[in-house]
Amino acid sequence: MTAATGDTASASSAPPPILQLRGVDKLFGEFPAVDRISLDIREGEFFTIVGPSGSGKTTMVRMLVGMDKPTNGDILLRGERINDVPANKRPTCMVFQSLALFPHRSVGQNIEFPLKIRGVKAASRKERALELMAQLRLPESYYGKGVSQCSGGERQRVALARALAFDPEILFFDEPLSALDYKLRKILEKELKDIHRETGKTFVYITHSLEEAMVMSDRIGVMNKGRFVQIGTPNEIYGNPSTRFVSEFMGEVNILEVGPGPDGTVIDQATGASYHAPPIADSFAGGSLVIRPEDIRFLDDTASPAANKLEGVVYNEYLLGSRVQYQVRVGDAQVFLVEKLREQQLASARGGRVTIAWDAKDSTIFPTARFAS
Amino acid sequence: MTDASVRISHVAAGHSRVSRAEPWQVRLGTALSKPGFLAALPVGILLLAGFVGPLALVFLFAFMPPQTFSVLQAPTLANFRTIFSDSYYLSFLASLQLAASTVAILLVICYPLAIAMVRVFTRKAGILALVLAAPLFVADNLRLMGWMLFLVKGGVVSGTMQTYLGIPVDSMLYTFSATLFGLVYINLPMMLFPMILGVSMVPAQMREAAFDLGASRWQVMKEVDIPLAMPGIMIGALITFILAAGAITEAKVLGGTAVVMIAQDIQKEFTFAQNWPKGSALSMLMIVLAGSLALAMFKRVDLDAIFGRKG
Amino acid sequence: MTRRNLLQSFSQSRRAFLRDTVSISAGIAAASMMPRGAWAAREKEMNIYCWEGYNSDKVLDPFRKEFDCTVKAQGLISDPEAVNQLRAGDTKVWDIINLNNAWGRRQLYPENLIKPLDKAKFEPLWEMMIPEFKWPYKWSTSDDGNELLGMIQRYGPSGMLVNTEKVSAATLEDEGYDLMLSDAFKGKYAVLMYDDWVIMHVVIAAGFSPFRELTDDEIGKYETVMRKLINNAAFLSDDMNAIALGMINGSIEGSFPGSVYSVSAARYDGNPNLRCIIPNKGPEEMGGKAGVCWMELTSLVNNPQLSPRAEDFLEYCFRPETAKNVSFAEGTYNPVGQMGDPKVMALYNTEELDAFQYDTLSADMAKCADFDIIPSYTKLHEIFSAAVREKA
Repeated sequence: MTAATGDTASASSAPPPILQLRGVDKLFGEFPAVDRISLDIREGEFFTIVGPSGSGKTTMVRMLVGMDKPTNGDILLRGERINDVPANKRPTCMVFQSLALFPHRSVGQNIEFPLKIRGVKAASRKERALELMAQLRLPESYYGKGVSQCSGGERQRVALARALAFDPEILFFDEPLSALDYKLRKILEKELKDIHRETGKTFVYITHSLEEAMVMSDRIGVMNKGRFVQIGTPNEIYGNPSTRFVSEFMGEVNILEVGPGPDGTVIDQATGASYHAPPIADSFAGGSLVIRPEDIRFLDDTASPAANKLEGVVYNEYLLGSRVQYQVRVGDAQVFLVEKLREQQLASARGGRVTIAWDAKDSTIFPTARFAS
Repeated sequence: MTDASVRISHVAAGHSRVSRAEPWQVRLGTALSKPGFLAALPVGILLLAGFVGPLALVFLFAFMPPQTFSVLQAPTLANFRTIFSDSYYLSFLASLQLAASTVAILLVICYPLAIAMVRVFTRKAGILALVLAAPLFVADNLRLMGWMLFLVKGGVVSGTMQTYLGIPVDSMLYTFSATLFGLVYINLPMMLFPMILGVSMVPAQMREAAFDLGASRWQVMKEVDIPLAMPGIMIGALITFILAAGAITEAKVLGGTAVVMIAQDIQKEFTFAQNWPKGSALSMLMIVLAGSLALAMFKRVDLDAIFGRKG
Repeated sequence: MTRRNLLQSFSQSRRAFLRDTVSISAGIAAASMMPRGAWAAREKEMNIYCWEGYNSDKVLDPFRKEFDCTVKAQGLISDPEAVNQLRAGDTKVWDIINLNNAWGRRQLYPENLIKPLDKAKFEPLWEMMIPEFKWPYKWSTSDDGNELLGMIQRYGPSGMLVNTEKVSAATLEDEGYDLMLSDAFKGKYAVLMYDDWVIMHVVIAAGFSPFRELTDDEIGKYETVMRKLINNAAFLSDDMNAIALGMINGSIEGSFPGSVYSVSAARYDGNPNLRCIIPNKGPEEMGGKAGVCWMELTSLVNNPQLSPRAEDFLEYCFRPETAKNVSFAEGTYNPVGQMGDPKVMALYNTEELDAFQYDTLSADMAKCADFDIIPSYTKLHEIFSAAVREKA
């Protein structure tokens, strides 16, 4: 959307783009899976495309690696149109969601595959494979092992090593970590980030988890319904989500349906309560007020001043490792989500009366009209 | 039910701990009381009676004196001696040559066909499969008779050529090639269907990954497609090989006995020659020959490695 | 000997299949309802194992209706194979067996596989037979002549087949087997692969009688002739229709050997130029006979629970209409011994008689020796098989 083009246009000081999309469409029948996308991916950056399933991110990456052709528009690699260059002729490669390791080949043979295809001699193939295995912390003894004997994390590393053996200019990832458990995923996310820095290659990563995107990326593009709704650094996305979709997508948030009120306030349409909010346009006719759980605080002294103050009862408490989450019931119908660090845990939580508060600057207004497209 | 079987297995376990001291009758009784053994019994008996029984009989007959009709005689190697001193190697060679050629031709024909059915006609593959399987509902010899009428001089092919193109065509029957054609035609579904299964076992992403890593179409086929479809291909090849090696009708109806296949020699020994022992000896030799060839073939292609079950 | 017309046998086998299915399921249903072993249980069923013709509906349907009886019939394609099956215990299955003449007297009866007939009951039927088969006919009795082993019906001479437009009947009759075995005839004939018949005719062509032990020297001569016959042949086939087709479309001119029935269907279909020829001169030891004639013996199987309907069936086959139906069964037309009875003869028209070469039938039969067991068969068959395998 406007945010997307605006962002890329303003990035004049950034490194030159390696991959550019110019009005790219992909139609399946009448349905646009990818809808008029323009995007620049910069040399050497870690760019993550994030979106829910069906948002068009997989369709897009298939076009970027050359397995599908765009219906309209151009894809440029270093300024050269590559729409019609098949995947095997492009200097890019992808780590698949399923990893697509060859079950009839050993770890070593898998890693050496792109080199074998290129006709590299067996000895130098093996040398390179062992080098990559060392880089990815795969024991040398795994060279002759069958891939089915490897654990989930080891298989990830083999797939990555195979892709690196290809020595691509851009490395694509199609949700390769989605099948792993949380802990392993966290470890591999960081490793991936390290490898990105070590190799200096351009990484384009696809995921449905904004959290994953936040950890690794230089820039994130949030996709919905075939379009980018926001492109920016993790900080920009987190701190200043451009739409309610983005903020919702980022994780659990408090959303209140509001209408215009007097003196720049907004009126909660469910309870009639009035809130202070960031400045709104005169034309504002209603929309969503979004507040992050960690931006809401508990007031020790109910009399302390605050822009927005509500009284409620703690309904539930969840321990999330280093953080604690509370569900606070306000009135009969509203439940607010509040998140605190462990050190800030309430003494007697469940059933206790509390006062919650937030500042106007910590909330975001998304007028309804912006979603009516 | 569960309780009972648990108790039984406990009892069995108790016995087996002291089984060295038990008389064999007790041990047998223990084995018989296991539910697994009882459950497997009906199938076991069926296999024994229907499969092993006749084979055992053929085996015994192979060592009986020639031209006799009882297995209760002193065994002899006379049949094998006669076979080796005679020209039966010609029939064995002909059968193996025809079977190998049939397999080779069918591999080349069926692989693209299987690919097309799995990847191109995905929706219509069912109809195509039905069309290809439909001839199986008609007996082999009737279909071959149909081909005979098609290929014979004055038949459909030569008649058409003569009438409409003025090209005189002689009979296309009664040659080695006609026999081979018949074998290829009859065995096509036997190769095709296992191969379709094999081809459809290859995940699309595996091929895409290879392609993405720079492999050409040909390299993708060589490095990924064929190795991963190998179980289906091997099973198809094995079935076709065994069926073709044991074929008889094709050589008689289309081949005009230009080539004598071993099955025909065996049949003759059992019927016109009234020599069951020699027929049995020939059968045993064929079983051993075809069996060891099949084993050798399977040894070369390690199925476990293909299925990724070992390193 | 195989006798089947491929187009007719298709519909035939389908019908047979349906019928068998019905009778088998009926049999299972019946068997589950009544205790086994009751002799009465087989009063309404009969199983016959026969050369093609006896298993046609034309022959069996009237019998089924009249005797209110289920008849299961299976066609056979080889005498020795049928003998094998009886030997292997199929005597429990079948009630009637129909084979070429010599098998009954030489093997089935000595091995206790068939049951002699009631002479008082069946002897009078022989009144109907042609003079060649007058009572007491050799092949219908045991060696000692005491027992009646079965009834004779279809018969025919065997020699060579030829397209008379290419080679005249008279020339082939005069020159005999030598004509077909000459180098000039190479590639112009097929071999009809009924092994025992090929062997018999080759022994005769070599100048001896196949029905006695041959000396090594004679077997050597036989081998020379056999190898030449096989090597010179255009093709070898056990399908008489394929051979008839070859003669009609001109890819071959003749067949070695061949009997009247191998061409009778084609002759009836408008190819009177195809003909079975018996050479005029044969080995002296055979009384100058160069052909071999066959006749089928229909016998009662030595079934421990023989159906009482089996005897009825033998009598039924001697009725004039049945005899005609057997003679003109599906796919193969043959003369029958009952043509000695004017009531049977009256049922044929000229075309039908011409189909099985009635004009020369007695003359041809006179040039034939009776089909018999071949004492040197084992050795001769080995040579034959080797010749086929090693065909140049």
